[in-house]
Amino acid sequence: MEIIRNFPAAAILLCLFAGIVSSGLKPKAAKWLNHALIVVEMALNLCTLYYTAVTGEAFVYVMGKFPAPWGNEIRAGVLEALLALFVCGVMLLSLLGGEKELEEKVEENKLFLYYVLADHLLCSLLALIYTNDLFTAYVFVEINTISACGLIMIRQTGRTIEAAVRYMIMSLLGSGLLLMGLCMLYDLTGHLLMSNIQESVARLHASGMYGVPLTVTIGLMTVGLAIKSALFPFHTWVPDAYGYSTASSAAILSSLVSKGYIFLLIKIIYRVIGFEVFHDTKIVNVLFLFGLAGMIFGSLSAIKENNIRRMIAFSSVAQIGYIYMGIGMGTQAGMVAAIFHIFSHAAAKALLFVACMGITGASGGSVKFQDLTGAAYRNKLAGAAFTAGSLSMVGLPLFSGFISKLLFAQAAVQNQGKMLPALVVLAVSTILNAVYFMKTVIRIYTPEQSPYEGITWKNQKLLTVSCVLLTVLNLHLGCLSQSWENLIMKGLGMFA
Amino acid sequence: MSGILMLGAILLPILGSIPIFLFKWQNRKAMRIYVELLVCAASLLVGYLLLRGPSAPFTVVTFTGNLTVEFKIDGLSTVFAGMIAVLWPFATLYSFEYMRNEPRERSFFLFYTMTYGVTLGIAMSGNLLTMYFFYELLTLVTVPLVMQTLTREAILASRKYLYYSLGGAAFAFIGLVFIIVYGSSIDFVYGGVLDLVKVGSRTNILLLIYVFAFCGFGVKAALCPFNSWLPQAGVAPTPVTALLHAVAVVKSGAFAIMRLTYYSYGTEFLKGTWAQDVVMTLTIITIVYGCSRAVKETHLKRRLAYSTISNLSYILFGVSLMTPAGLMGGLTHMLFHAFIKICSFFCVGAVMHETGRNYVHEIDGFGRKMPKVFACFTVSALALMGVPGMAGFISKWYLAGAAISTGEPLACAGVAALLISALLTAIYMLTIVVRAYFPPREFDYAAIEQVRDAKPLMWLPLLFFVIVILLFGVASRPITGFLGEVAAGRY
Amino acid sequence: MIFTAILIPVLAGLILLLGPEWKNRKQLCGFTDAALLLSFLAVCVALGTTKENEAVTLFNLTTGLPIFFKIDGVSRFFAVLTGILWVPAGIYAFGYMEHEWKEKRYYGFYLLSYAVLTGLDFSGNLITFYLFYESMSLLTLPLVLHNGSKEAIMAGLKYLFFSLAGAYMVLFGLFLLNRFGNTLTFTAGGVLDAALLEGREGLLLAGAFLMILGFGVKAGMFPLHAWLPAAHPVAPAPASGVLSGMIAKCGVLGVIRTVFYLFGADFLRGTWVQQVWLVLSLTTVLLGSMMAYREKGLKKRLAYSTVSQVSYILFGLATLQWEGFTGAFLHTAAHALMKCGLFLVAGAIIFKTGKTKVEELSGIGRQMPVTMICYTLLSLSLIGIPPFGGFVSKWFLGRGGVNSGLPVFDILGPAVLLVSALLTAGYLLPISIRGFLGGEESVVRPEKKEPSFLMLAPIVLFTVLVTVLGICPDKVIGYITEIAKVLIKEGMTG
Repeated sequence: MEIIRNFPAAAILLCLFAGIVSSGLKPKAAKWLNHALIVVEMALNLCTLYYTAVTGEAFVYVMGKFPAPWGNEIRAGVLEALLALFVCGVMLLSLLGGEKELEEKVEENKLFLYYVLADHLLCSLLALIYTNDLFTAYVFVEINTISACGLIMIRQTGRTIEAAVRYMIMSLLGSGLLLMGLCMLYDLTGHLLMSNIQESVARLHASGMYGVPLTVTIGLMTVGLAIKSALFPFHTWVPDAYGYSTASSAAILSSLVSKGYIFLLIKIIYRVIGFEVFHDTKIVNVLFLFGLAGMIFGSLSAIKENNIRRMIAFSSVAQIGYIYMGIGMGTQAGMVAAIFHIFSHAAAKALLFVACMGITGASGGSVKFQDLTGAAYRNKLAGAAFTAGSLSMVGLPLFSGFISKLLFAQAAVQNQGKMLPALVVLAVSTILNAVYFMKTVIRIYTPEQSPYEGITWKNQKLLTVSCVLLTVLNLHLGCLSQSWENLIMKGLGMFA
Repeated sequence: MSGILMLGAILLPILGSIPIFLFKWQNRKAMRIYVELLVCAASLLVGYLLLRGPSAPFTVVTFTGNLTVEFKIDGLSTVFAGMIAVLWPFATLYSFEYMRNEPRERSFFLFYTMTYGVTLGIAMSGNLLTMYFFYELLTLVTVPLVMQTLTREAILASRKYLYYSLGGAAFAFIGLVFIIVYGSSIDFVYGGVLDLVKVGSRTNILLLIYVFAFCGFGVKAALCPFNSWLPQAGVAPTPVTALLHAVAVVKSGAFAIMRLTYYSYGTEFLKGTWAQDVVMTLTIITIVYGCSRAVKETHLKRRLAYSTISNLSYILFGVSLMTPAGLMGGLTHMLFHAFIKICSFFCVGAVMHETGRNYVHEIDGFGRKMPKVFACFTVSALALMGVPGMAGFISKWYLAGAAISTGEPLACAGVAALLISALLTAIYMLTIVVRAYFPPREFDYAAIEQVRDAKPLMWLPLLFFVIVILLFGVASRPITGFLGEVAAGRY
Repeated sequence: MIFTAILIPVLAGLILLLGPEWKNRKQLCGFTDAALLLSFLAVCVALGTTKENEAVTLFNLTTGLPIFFKIDGVSRFFAVLTGILWVPAGIYAFGYMEHEWKEKRYYGFYLLSYAVLTGLDFSGNLITFYLFYESMSLLTLPLVLHNGSKEAIMAGLKYLFFSLAGAYMVLFGLFLLNRFGNTLTFTAGGVLDAALLEGREGLLLAGAFLMILGFGVKAGMFPLHAWLPAAHPVAPAPASGVLSGMIAKCGVLGVIRTVFYLFGADFLRGTWVQQVWLVLSLTTVLLGSMMAYREKGLKKRLAYSTVSQVSYILFGLATLQWEGFTGAFLHTAAHALMKCGLFLVAGAIIFKTGKTKVEELSGIGRQMPVTMICYTLLSLSLIGIPPFGGFVSKWFLGRGGVNSGLPVFDILGPAVLLVSALLTAGYLLPISIRGFLGGEESVVRPEKKEPSFLMLAPIVLFTVLVTVLGICPDKVIGYITEIAKVLIKEGMTG
């Protein structure tokens, strides 16, 4: 069993190598390699999850046996393993679902690149999840940015390039802030490993020295990651980046990439700064407020949108707002809710993007609402899947969104000061979600004579598989959430 | 055993309706027979269950911790489930005739039958979460019914309905969360489940949330100012407007509020607080508002829809009195209004179906051409006004009696509102009757020569409703006695 | 027996309404006539056979809400009066309705209304009373809008909605009484429970006031009188006659039941309710007379007169004093006969000449001498000139006012009654004067236009009855005093 301790590091390195190998392969081979890779990764992470769950404690893997403070560490707990497993799964499903579109829309000679980027993206995501070392984290943040940028740009139209540039600028701004934060933290503590920093920060906090610089540092890092994860009002890059890239890219970006950053932030809060210290800085309140604002304004923008892809993108802004609201609650319960929502939103959003592709595919590729009328009859499966995703987003019982909502609300109830605003915004945002998602559902279920041909599941087997599995995943999260909650609680316990 | 049967009764219409959609049904008659048999079977099953009396809770699924999907039958369920189980088969008969010439018949019956199961689910829910779940589901299965005609108007209406309903549920959800957190359980227990130790000094916030949840569920019950979806949803085919938007859906809202008030929060906690005043004021406003809008409205179905708004708030007013007598008044009105309103809607529907006329000023002289329909309509109009000897009077009697017994000034104002509303009801209902029976002297009957009375499938249900209305009106003692027991939590 | 009395006209009415058209008009009239007489006979038998205060329960609406009948002095008085009015007016209609349409419908509803009125008179408790009261509003509606003109339909709806508004005010009081009273059964002296009442007097007084106001709607009491001048004139003349003569009195009956049998005179004496009630009734008396004085249409003038005269009755009741009470009853009877007669006269004029405006009636007396003599006699009675019924009733009303012991009102009341009597003379007598003396002198031998016997007989009958009431009122006064003794303890010296 001890060998499992190597698995996280192996998983990261495997991705890296697979990416490098893929660059020399034909597209088809690269594709298969990528899928095989993800399956293997899933196996590895599953083992890790099992191991950590059974042993009941996290383990630290020291790269190259260099001990701290010089070495480079990886740390795996239940939560990390769970998230890593989840990321692999959703990524595979997103790629499968969007495969047909990729082959149609991306130039033949660039197709292999897509898989190279995907491999690297997965690598960086896993690294962000597992790392126990702030500098490593920074490095992979950059890798992540670059590969994500590539994923956006791979479909070369004017809009995607513009979107990619925008994404790049905002992202780099975020990275820059994060880097500054890191540097200052290094200055303050002299460490880069998370556990070491935490000790120092705790000492600093206790002694009351460097109070302002510490706060500034925390602020910088938080804002940096917030920008990267598209927290309102730093979300301006989102609609274009998700709206014009390929469906797989959009699904991956919105479900996974932004969540990677959020998870990193959570990790920093718990493992670097310490929950109490972070709470004392009042930055939680700022996050809470921005989260609430995001929930409302994201949805409002989505309502105004006339492009289904951009609408879903704006919805992501709102959902990210939920997560930040949970974090901003400043309680354990809020954090559990936020983390659960990371899962739940990832599952639902991936489903939506993939199903959306099916719908637009049955409407001549148009993403304009007026062309989508009756699309659910032309592509029954995608229509049903889109409906399922929407219901999850709106928070209907049995779907994952309901449990998130429930957890958020329960967390809010236990927090005297933030209860009312949180609850009211939660309710209002539910209504807004209902407005734009249900509007879309009704439109696609309004029968109309259409020039576009129907698509049956035989012509889109991969999409079918992807949609069905993602829907099942949503329902699973919605119906059997207890085990997920337990794992999250356990994982959070291991953070300390 | 009874647990399985309960689940069966709920699932039977839901799952049984799927074949309606799966097969092509070359023979429409076969489909109709199938649907009717299905609905009757479910009703019989429900009837059997209800006659067996209250049942132990039956847990189907456990989500997390004490969050379960659970069914049980108690007094309140008996009333609600019994009501819809009686109404549904008749409404289905009526809709066969009504939908004969409409397109998309299959999808109509699919969702129409499904709704039956979902409403039963609401009725038999054993805890707040289950009810919330079916409540949301109800919204979803009824949207296609509103959309049925697929006109632009219908789509706008269904959207609005959806937004309002889901939005309301979002606020009701907050109430649910508070019960989860501050209740000893989420089960429905007469008298409430709030754990006063946990509540501590947070009384005010809980009251605020109660108001939220009341309004949230109140959206479905068309509480002012959340009522504008209901008249608009009148674009749906009449069986939908009659059964769903006068009975099943809107009364689910009222039913949910009863559960919330008497079985979750508990009247002990709420009585005499500002929350009670707020909700009662809202209901009083709605009572008067609905009626006055109905008087102004000239579209027949919309007029009745506004009337429904007002009458639903009668129920809610009874509930907001927070006494067993008030609940009993509310229950009585819920039951009686169901029969009355479905009767008047079906009459109007028959007119629309036979002649395509929609407005009050178009029905001059119809009393002679459609005697059966307008006789029934007149009965329902009188009952709705509350003429003694008809069902409507009894329920108003109990409502007003309960209100006056509390001795609160606001409750007395509510009684005044009831009476003002009764007058307005008389105005908007009787103008229709007078027009139909007493057209102006110069009216030319030749203009409506081709108008025929409704076909048997349409008027037989009407006849049944009329008999029930009269029966309830003159011999209500058994039923009111039972409702009294239920409202006192003794059943 | 009571059921039979109600059931006979109901069945006959339903046969007429639901049955096929009658080919022979004579048969139709004969059937209606037979039904009317039979009903009246049944009422009389019921009055004769049923013991005082014997309750006959029909069924229970719900727990504690029985529909039951009981006959007491007031019931007798009103039941007899109803019959005396209803049967002749029905007979008159056989003549009058010849030129109207849809006779069958008219007779059907006429019979149904009679049944309802009988039920109203015999009602043993408030809920039964309310049931018949509301049915009365609904069933008399077709009589009002019978002629089917736009104006008539609008007036009919106005009538209906005002009546219902009144009924709902009553219902409010009903709810209150159900809570604070021992029972809803009409009990001489009131049903209020002093123990339950403690501290709620204000609410109860408001309830009582609303009930008086609500029943006052039917009686045309200010401020809810506006429907009356619109609705009474548009109906066919016999219907106007019974509307003004009897239906308006049902409001009075309601007030009597409310004040003396539910709340009890003692509960209201000296309260603001009594004051306001007095003010309202006196206002109405004056207002009605003045409006009648200004009005040009004959039937409408009579309708305004009804507004005024019925409030005489209300004033009498409002004094809460036995003389006023007696006067009220007398005036109920006298006014019913007089006003019904007057409307029938107006109907006869319209039927024969088609004239509706007052100024067109010059010389009418020479064309229709018998009719106009009856008119004059009835007018004199209405003004209050001996030896007619109107004088006796007004005498008692005036005495009631003077002896009421109420400050201000003991002077003001009789004064207003007198002024109103002057006005009454002013609006009724000129018609007679011009009818007999005016007109073109050249017409030496005018064409006789006397109506048929069927129409003339009821008019003459009413005139005779009013005269008889005026000449020997002792029996009636004695009867009423018996009732008053039980109800009003105070001031019963004479």
